[in-house]
Amino acid sequence: MNPIDRLYRRFPAVLMARRNLSRNRLRSALAALGIVIGVLAIASLGMFGTTLRVGADQQLGEFGNEIGVLPNAEAGVENFTERDVQEIERVVSRGEVIPVQSRSVSVGRGGDVRFVRAYGIESPGELFEAEDGRIPERFRNGVLVGSSLADDLDVEPGNTLTVDGRNYRVLAVLEDVGQISFVNPDNGVVLPPSEFGRERYAQVIVTAESGAAANETAMAIRDSLNRRQERVVVVELSSITENIDQFFGIINTFLVGVGSISLLVAAVSILNVMLMSTVERRGEIGVLRAVGVQRSEVMRTILAEAALLGVVGGVVGSALAVLAGLALNVYVLDDPMVTFRSRNLLYLVLAFLFALVTSLLSGLYPAWKAAREHPVEALRSG
Amino acid sequence: MTDADLASTTGSSGAGDDVPIVELRNVWKVYDTGSERVEALRGVDFAARPGEFVAVMGPSGSGKSTMLNVVGLLDSATEGTVLLDGRDVTDLSDREMTSVRKHAIGFVFQNFYLIPSLTALENVELPTLFGDDPTARDRARSLLERVGLGDRIEHRPDQLSGGQKQRVAIARALVNQPRLLLADEPTGNLDRKTGRSVLEEFDHFRETENVAIVAVTHDPQVAEFADRTVTLVDGRIDDDSSWRGVS
Repeated sequence: MNPIDRLYRRFPAVLMARRNLSRNRLRSALAALGIVIGVLAIASLGMFGTTLRVGADQQLGEFGNEIGVLPNAEAGVENFTERDVQEIERVVSRGEVIPVQSRSVSVGRGGDVRFVRAYGIESPGELFEAEDGRIPERFRNGVLVGSSLADDLDVEPGNTLTVDGRNYRVLAVLEDVGQISFVNPDNGVVLPPSEFGRERYAQVIVTAESGAAANETAMAIRDSLNRRQERVVVVELSSITENIDQFFGIINTFLVGVGSISLLVAAVSILNVMLMSTVERRGEIGVLRAVGVQRSEVMRTILAEAALLGVVGGVVGSALAVLAGLALNVYVLDDPMVTFRSRNLLYLVLAFLFALVTSLLSGLYPAWKAAREHPVEALRSG
Repeated sequence: MTDADLASTTGSSGAGDDVPIVELRNVWKVYDTGSERVEALRGVDFAARPGEFVAVMGPSGSGKSTMLNVVGLLDSATEGTVLLDGRDVTDLSDREMTSVRKHAIGFVFQNFYLIPSLTALENVELPTLFGDDPTARDRARSLLERVGLGDRIEHRPDQLSGGQKQRVAIARALVNQPRLLLADEPTGNLDRKTGRSVLEEFDHFRETENVAIVAVTHDPQVAEFADRTVTLVDGRIDDDSSWRGVS
């Protein structure tokens, strides 16, 4: 006996179920297709959510350890003095304190003039990456140009740029830092603080070693600077990213919920198919009962049929969902391996289990109905 | 009561030839649908001994099929006693009746009732399929060989002729080595010649296995093969006929 025969011998219900399903292949295939679509919907929508989340995290992730200290305009504080910065530096035991000055400037190259924001930062290397050129460790002269502005004015490192009537050498074009950051010079320039003279600071950015450290530091700054008066507003990027994460969590749940509805529809179609096929096979079921097959065994056979539909639909659906996930992640994130994150595997397993359980539940009533029928009645009908 | 108990009290190790393998004592079967009351069997006494071939004849609606269902434990009697191998089986549960059917009774139907998706061999194995029975496949194979279908064991029912189908059905009925074989119009869907060969098959098993055969039929040919013929009229055994054929 070959292994499959032995398996069938061991689980005769599976043998009967498989043969019964192959009797009307089209009908079985259509019933399984419903499950395929349901599983595909749940798993791929879940994966889609993961892709959104990972994409957002990639945009936000590097800033999770940044804290922005802003003057509280409501308390009449417009900007920070050197003393304020020193106090922040005193509170921050570990991490970089980066005071930022800011003003509007006119930037010109050739005949083109743009009015943009200029930031004065002593160590821009802490906050930015160079797309082209090099950011000096100690920034004393020259100018750094945001990538959009550089595109606009057709600037590259080595060119000369006129800022408020003075000429500067372009040292680097900065990489885009994304939408969520305290200082976004994408459409602006960064100048050495010396160019701002004794101008006060618009904000202070603190980069801690980790998200958790950032949280502690933020609390320390609040305690120290707001002791007498609410002078500063402390913003943690990590809390923003957390909110966004939560938001995508909700979207994810919603998407999976939508997918579940399609599985419900599939369940109805399985119920229909199983009812039809058990009605058609009344006579045969009567024979089974007559030759000594117990009710529970008849039930098991029909449940095995429903389960088989669920398993086949689930496997095919999961496989398609993985393909869809791979395609999506290559296209959106350029990283196919995101598909195999544990969260996605969880979605796959959940969708598969959900398919199996739904199929079994839809098989339950037809199975019970068929098993309950009196063999004499069943035989008469056949 | 366990399946094993049922099997041992009704199996092939039973009492001698003088004890009936099956016996009905004053059996009534009444269908009460609310609006009308149908008495399908009205005090039937009947017995079949091992190795005996009994034909049950009678007009349509006389209660033949009902009697066969009660004898075969497919249906329970409203009143009276059903004995199988000397044991009272009147009030068994569905589970127990199913188990007795499996081990002690074989069925052959007019419409053969083979499962179209299973091969001839699997159809013969059907009564043994649920449950651990390591020798079932060998028994099924040898039964198919004995009914002359050794070269058709992997065929599906739609690849077999009517006579061949009924032979598969006979093999199926005998796979659990029952002592009682019940047939409902076994030749009803066969031409005369094929019917005759199927009856010869019955005769053969009756002789070699000491199986009691009860066949409900309209076919006079079946009566020719039977040791005796019982006639049912309006749910009663017609006494004049009941021992005809036994001298």
